[in-house]
Amino acid sequence: MANPLVNWFHERLPLADVDLRELTNEPVPNHLKRWWFALGGTPAYLFVVQALTGVMLAVYYQPSAQTAYESVRYITEEAAYGWYLRSLHKWGATFMVAAVILHQMRVYFTGAYRKPREINWLVGMTILTCTLMLGFTGYCLVYEQLSYWGAAVGANIAGSVPVVGDFTKQLLLGGEDYNERTLPRFYVIHAAALPIALALLVAIHIAVVRLQGVTETTFKDDAKRESKTFNFFPDHLMTEVMIGLVLMVILTALASIVPATLGPPADPLTTPEVIKPEWFFYVAFRWLKLFSAQAAILSMGFIVFTMFAWPWIDAWIRRRTRFSEASVWIGIAGVLAIIALTVWEAVVAH
Amino acid sequence: MSLEQKRWIIAALGFLFLLSLVYVQRLEVARKHEEAGLAAHAVAVPANSKACVDCHRQNTPGIVDHWRGSRHARAGVGCVECHQAAADDVDAFTHEGVLIATVVTPRDCSRCHLVEAQEFQASHHAAAGNILASLDNFLAETVEGGPPAFDPHSPTPGKAVDAVNGHASAFVGCQQCHGSKVAFLATDGGRVSVDELEPDAAGKPTNLAAVGRILKDQNGKPLFHSGTWPNTGIGRLNLDGSRGSCSACHSRHDFSPRRARQPENCGKCHLGPDHPQKEIYEESKHGVAYRDLRDAMNLEAKEWVLGVDYTQAPTCATCHMSGHRKNDGKVTHDPGIRISWTNRPPVSLVMDTDVNGRIVTAADPEERARLVVSTAEEKRERMKQVCSHCHTPSYVNAFYQQYDELVILYNEKFGKPGQAIVGALTENGLLTPTQFDEEIEWTWFYLWHHEGRRARHGASMMAPDYTHWHGMFEVAERFYVQLVPQAREILAEAAEHGRGAAARAAGAVLDEILARPEHAWFVEGAEDKTEAIRKAMEERYGQ
Repeated sequence: MANPLVNWFHERLPLADVDLRELTNEPVPNHLKRWWFALGGTPAYLFVVQALTGVMLAVYYQPSAQTAYESVRYITEEAAYGWYLRSLHKWGATFMVAAVILHQMRVYFTGAYRKPREINWLVGMTILTCTLMLGFTGYCLVYEQLSYWGAAVGANIAGSVPVVGDFTKQLLLGGEDYNERTLPRFYVIHAAALPIALALLVAIHIAVVRLQGVTETTFKDDAKRESKTFNFFPDHLMTEVMIGLVLMVILTALASIVPATLGPPADPLTTPEVIKPEWFFYVAFRWLKLFSAQAAILSMGFIVFTMFAWPWIDAWIRRRTRFSEASVWIGIAGVLAIIALTVWEAVVAH
Repeated sequence: MSLEQKRWIIAALGFLFLLSLVYVQRLEVARKHEEAGLAAHAVAVPANSKACVDCHRQNTPGIVDHWRGSRHARAGVGCVECHQAAADDVDAFTHEGVLIATVVTPRDCSRCHLVEAQEFQASHHAAAGNILASLDNFLAETVEGGPPAFDPHSPTPGKAVDAVNGHASAFVGCQQCHGSKVAFLATDGGRVSVDELEPDAAGKPTNLAAVGRILKDQNGKPLFHSGTWPNTGIGRLNLDGSRGSCSACHSRHDFSPRRARQPENCGKCHLGPDHPQKEIYEESKHGVAYRDLRDAMNLEAKEWVLGVDYTQAPTCATCHMSGHRKNDGKVTHDPGIRISWTNRPPVSLVMDTDVNGRIVTAADPEERARLVVSTAEEKRERMKQVCSHCHTPSYVNAFYQQYDELVILYNEKFGKPGQAIVGALTENGLLTPTQFDEEIEWTWFYLWHHEGRRARHGASMMAPDYTHWHGMFEVAERFYVQLVPQAREILAEAAEHGRGAAARAAGAVLDEILARPEHAWFVEGAEDKTEAIRKAMEERYGQ
């Protein structure tokens, strides 16, 4: 017997139960029961955390050179729970970058980018780029001494890129140099343009996954199972929720034990003795220090292009050579290089 | 490659990535804490100072900790850079295989801070050691003390006292601010100082006989005269011929600019009954604002430029030394270049200075024009630039008018007359040539050296209570109730003892002064004014 309330909704939303079940309850392969296959959902969850905390921070944040630092100080020192929200946002950003990278690593090593999923690899790479850009522009908004100079250096690096460099720098700064239009520009990019782009990309990413289905990967113990699949709802969703709750506990603990700090305010007249970007740019920063600016930027451009184009490059290698597992060894070398360059930049003063 | 193998590769790389992330985050958090001022900056000990730091961390951890918190440490300047010595330096000795010297002089600091050292050498601060030939030093060494060593007159239970150091007050008092003449003990029982060593322009001793007389311990380390070292007096007379001590303001071993910017730093010496600049500042609106707003004054800033890094309140450093927006942030280490009066002597002098920085006292306008290379007005304009960050020109000019008028009032009514009265008594033989052996000499000293300075300094820095109650009120009381009666007593006694001519000559000076209109109330009475005040009080308070 139909519930009157359900009937009420059915009359207004002509959606059959069976359609709803199909939409939310797609069978997913058994390998997804492993937690490290839930790393795709983790960045999405962290994106929601970032969006919620970001909206609350935006209530107080004032994006101008005259007011930005003071408003961040107010958030950190005076606003009720401001320190907590800012710290969650800061650590959430770190976790989100890490989760996207880990997800990307898992996809890479399991070959989940191969035909017919090349387009979703491109979408994923764009999501990684957007996430890093969010991190960069977010740190610039603090307008403390290091974030100011980090932004100036970042813009100069962007400006050194051949052909599009000047345009990119102009786009970022709103002029030749850091000026009064720069901070509002970073704010709009950070709080509107990139989140909207990221939300659309995530939607496309998930839609493509649903259209193509999750890459089926059968481990030894999966073969023993009676069914090849299990339900997304509630089984896999519960795994994601559990990871989300554990992440929330860890984020809260980090926010409480190591809250976000605030350095001295930006001083455009005084260059700090040491300029360092956020940790996720350490690898690029160290790379820049190893070579001449032009060589470093061109080689980085080449590496980024290779990463985007990897599904086709990998296919070509597999088709034309005997090294069918070349991608694994290249991947291992790449990850070790990223780790080494990041740690190197972290441990040295200059 | 099997899926299981890939699984382990992902697990291993993922774990390594997370591990590196934890490590990088730990470093990043530490770095951000340093940047936010919540932790000391990480310091890489320079290789040539590693042995010093390792040993002194155990023996004198305070020195090492202070140094670790310094900009020197962050810039890679270690122990050796400052304490290194050359073989021909008079104070060089080998310590743990390294040739070093104990005392770091402005000449040593000038190896890196040349401009600052040159400005300082030209300043009145660097000349503070001149007190060794002044009335103040006579007070400390003779009046308060005695011969360099004299016998105690009775035992001190629990302490074997063989001799009394008659200069102890000078060593521990005057010279800890003004600076000592640093000296070694000599093999003949005397001292060897810059006077005997006669250093050349490079600071190397030219009198090798004096060098040979320096007493050393069994390790070859020269032994300092304990009265002259330790000393951080600002006008210290160093063995290499340089004057001063940078650590007077930039306390070793952290040399904190933050501390040098705070009035408490200057207050080590600029306080007390004779020149209470610190207390005067605290009473002023400037000091009140500083106490309230110091946390917002960005005292850690690298340059600390008024109008750029802060505007909340000025400190001593702000007005007298620091850079500001209107002079492109140029700091000076000569605090005299913004001062237009000197209120140190009995009668205040206008700070027109000659090529050597000395005040030109000549009265003849042509001679003044020939000698003066830096006028008081130029100095005042520099100070007005500082004032103008918060005050309008008319406000600043009116303040300076108030200040000038108070100084001139003191000079004309009490300073010059007091000097003339005591001078007349001295010139006519009515006082002994010895200072401070007669009451009127103490009276006069109190009048100009303590109360007169308090009044003038109070006016210079907007402290009304010091200008009036601690200043002019006490000056007036000292003048009318002590100096004049004591002078009259001396004159009467002289006349009584057959020295009428001298008494008349000195008395004429006193009479001429008291006949002036500003002293008429004292001689002729001021009944009309007293009556007017009595009536006003009755109207106001009913009594």
